[in-house]
Amino acid sequence: MSDTLTYDLNVNGEIETITAPAEETLLTVLRERLHLTGAKRGCDQGVCGTCTVLIDGEPVRGCLTIAALCEGVEITTIEGLATPEALDIVQQSFVDTGGIQCGFCSSGMILTVSSILKSNPEAGEAEIREGISGNICRCTGYEKIIDAAVLAAQQINGAAR
Amino acid sequence: MKIHKPATLQEAAGLLAADDSAQCIAGGATLVAMMNSGVVEPSALISLANISGLNEVTKASDGSVIIGAATKHKTVAAFDSFSGAQNIVGIAAGKIAHPPIRNMGTIGGSVAVGDPAADYPTALLAAEATFEIVGPAGSRSIPADEFFDGFLSTALAEAELVQSIQLPAGPENAVAVYDKIAKIDGDIAIMSVAVVMASSGDRCDYLRVAVGGCGPTPYRVAEAEVKFINGDLDVAIELLVAASDPMSDVRGSADYRRKVLPRVLRRALITAQQMGGGE
Ligand SMILES: Cc1cc2nc3c(=O)[nH]c(=O)nc-3n(C[C@H](O)[C@H](O)[C@H](O)COP(=O)(O)OP(=O)(O)OC[C@H]3O[C@@H](n4cnc5c(N)ncnc54)[C@H](O)[C@@H]3O)c2cc1C
Ligand code: FES
Ligand code: FES
Repeated sequence: MSDTLTYDLNVNGEIETITAPAEETLLTVLRERLHLTGAKRGCDQGVCGTCTVLIDGEPVRGCLTIAALCEGVEITTIEGLATPEALDIVQQSFVDTGGIQCGFCSSGMILTVSSILKSNPEAGEAEIREGISGNICRCTGYEKIIDAAVLAAQQINGAAR
Repeated sequence: MKIHKPATLQEAAGLLAADDSAQCIAGGATLVAMMNSGVVEPSALISLANISGLNEVTKASDGSVIIGAATKHKTVAAFDSFSGAQNIVGIAAGKIAHPPIRNMGTIGGSVAVGDPAADYPTALLAAEATFEIVGPAGSRSIPADEFFDGFLSTALAEAELVQSIQLPAGPENAVAVYDKIAKIDGDIAIMSVAVVMASSGDRCDYLRVAVGGCGPTPYRVAEAEVKFINGDLDVAIELLVAASDPMSDVRGSADYRRKVLPRVLRRALITAQQMGGGE
């Protein structure tokens, strides 16, 4: 029998109280308990990156993270990027360059690109390619995703100037 | 399943000893993947996250480096005070999977799995690392070549945990080459070769070569290292290949590994020489 635990998660700046079996992963809790379905379950094995969320700003695999061990950290999902008024810069640049086709990889890609550009606003194509190397896209051939990230970098740097 | 968050490694060892099917969890990158596929069903997870001092890399006054077991691959890859032979470990850390996995996985978790194709075990063998182990009965240390004792098997006894891994200073002028052959960037290696080489003048006088992914454990062949130092590259490679015992798996057949290994060894050894390891 599995213990049912009650614990608090900080998701997109809101404290959510979760009651769930101890073994539930962060991906399951986000999707099935908080109904934040932006993070996708591709492989459940850490290989594809569609479940990516940010923990304290760094991309991790939601499918390999035990939710009950996430107390005290800041979790950011794709739902936490935009405001009701507008998409954020990285999301908008994916739309503008055609970096989204079926969309299954997009949440993970966009969060990963956001974190790359936050930690290194000067990131060039090489750093972006390395940064997204753990995220698989079956549609775009990656080129337009790179274009989107480069465009977002230009806009972030432009805005900073 | 239960979750425990002990504050000390001794407490964690006690919890493991009290429950046969409890497992400790560090990054979760391997353990949770196994839980998701139903391969393991732990009765309890014992988190190492609240144990202080377990996720630090420190350089000691004698030049050795001590890596806490819960240190993430990312932190080891970014550590900038490795010298000489120790660099092999930092280079290997940077070649594990891709950034999100390096944000999660830890050195203790990696070595505890005992995968002969993983990157740390091969590098730690070439760096002549020592493992500090804590268990219900106390602490002990084990050299890397005794730690990895079989396919997916280590010298860790029931309820024992890795506390830290110590890298001796080694020759200061040593160069390090880590050659990882994988189907695609970021995949587990088909094979890997770790070379640590140093010279006095232009003559190589120190060599450690470890081979991963070509047998049940990563391995070294001391006689091959001596042959190379004495100028016999071909015999050194022959001895290292003769000691291999590769498996066939989805990444490559045993035959393929036997064919490619001598070429990878030659390339890695010559690269190390050209970097200043000595002719
Ligand atoms: C998609 C993917 C790609 C990968 N690619 C590579 C690769 O290219 N190269 C590579 O080397 N590895 C690779 N790995 C493995 C990765 O490095 C894992 O992080 C590592 O093997 C396990 O570390 P962890 O901290 O996540 O351990 P966990 O998953 O938390 O634990 C794994 C096992 O180790 C035990 N354990 C953990 N810490 C300790 C300790 N201190 N003492 C004793 N036992 C302990 C646990 O009980 C468990 O049995 C990959 C993994 C994934 C998911
Ligand atoms: S679902 Fe997590 S990496 Fe594929
Ligand atoms: S847009 Fe379809 S997987 Fe990337």
